[in-house]
Amino acid sequence: MKDEEIDDILKKAAQAPQDLDPLVLERIGDSIKPSLCPVRPLPPVWLMAVGLVLVCAAVSLAGAARAGFFGAAKMNLLERSLVFPALGLLACLAAVGFVHQMIPASRLRVSPGAMLALSSVGLLAVFAHLFRDYHTDHFFSAGIACLLTGLLHAIPAGLLSWLMLRRGFAVNPASAGLVAGTLGGLAGVGMLELHCPNFQAAHILVWHTAVVPVSAALGALLGWELRFRARSDDR
Amino acid sequence: MVRYQQGDFAAATALIDRISPPLHRFFLAKSISRADADDLLQETWLRIHKVRHTYRPGEPALPWFYAIARHIRVDHYRKSIRTAAGERELEEMSKGVSSAPHQAGELEALLAPLSEAQREVIAMLKVEGMSLEEVARATSSSVGSVKQKVHRAYKKLRETIGATGPRKWRSGGLA
Repeated sequence: MKDEEIDDILKKAAQAPQDLDPLVLERIGDSIKPSLCPVRPLPPVWLMAVGLVLVCAAVSLAGAARAGFFGAAKMNLLERSLVFPALGLLACLAAVGFVHQMIPASRLRVSPGAMLALSSVGLLAVFAHLFRDYHTDHFFSAGIACLLTGLLHAIPAGLLSWLMLRRGFAVNPASAGLVAGTLGGLAGVGMLELHCPNFQAAHILVWHTAVVPVSAALGALLGWELRFRARSDDR
Repeated sequence: MVRYQQGDFAAATALIDRISPPLHRFFLAKSISRADADDLLQETWLRIHKVRHTYRPGEPALPWFYAIARHIRVDHYRKSIRTAAGERELEEMSKGVSSAPHQAGELEALLAPLSEAQREVIAMLKVEGMSLEEVARATSSSVGSVKQKVHRAYKKLRETIGATGPRKWRSGGLA
């Protein structure tokens, strides 16, 4: 059987009468009439994305300013010119992805999972290329401290991003949370790169990069939770 | 849609009249009762009304409506799974009570062997006449993924129609 024949069968089946009760349509019209007023559409995607990147940069800089710019001071020119532009580029991609998640029927160029993978692998590639000190001193104690510091900055960055796009509507809050968490995680890594003077490869590859997936997982969980809360509010 | 965003009730009514029938059909394609489809349609319009500012002028409107309808339908599906156990108990209790059975439509019967994702893609693409790009937007997926689902759905439909006999479907009548 050819595809065209299946098309015809589907079309014929769809033409079967679907008697939608006019009363239902009337009820819908009546239900929206009292609250019908002009609304302001969302700003352009690029404007919201720039706003998100600025929020994340502000959180990273504020954190590093409070804790000290020891990492940035210790970096050489090559390290600075690769690490921060890479973080900026990934943050731009994540910001655009997050804006698209908050607008129904947006064209998704990169899925949330791919965005997380791209951010994590991209950071790993840059760090592995730049940092070649393979000593591991205080691997766990120093690492957990950095992971927590990164997350302490990732969480407010992600929440502020969410707050900034609160007028949007996520058809899949878990996916939107995942991307917001990825964006927040990149802000956390940015703060760590500015602050942490520990350039041991294992430390940076494991603990600094881990901020991104952990933050993304927290964002996805929060999105999932918000969906349930919104549903119970609707009831 | 822009006039609806500006608060024009006539535009809102025209949109409701134009968009509701395909959305209703979209809900019915998931083997739910007509009453449930009516409720979901009303819920969808309330949500559309609440988030109408998220529509960007110049963008295709149909995928935007379907993305929201899909969100409502997924919520309904999850809720029904959670309450399935409770409903089973209620069914046991109401076995003696007569109830009007839901008549399966022809389209619904034809799409029944397909998976949930395949069914919704076929309903949008082949029944409502949306483009691949519009379906990809409405389902938050890529065009490639939509094509793959359609290919698999057609394979399954070919098997089903082949097994039951094409004449049964072509004649427009179900046994």
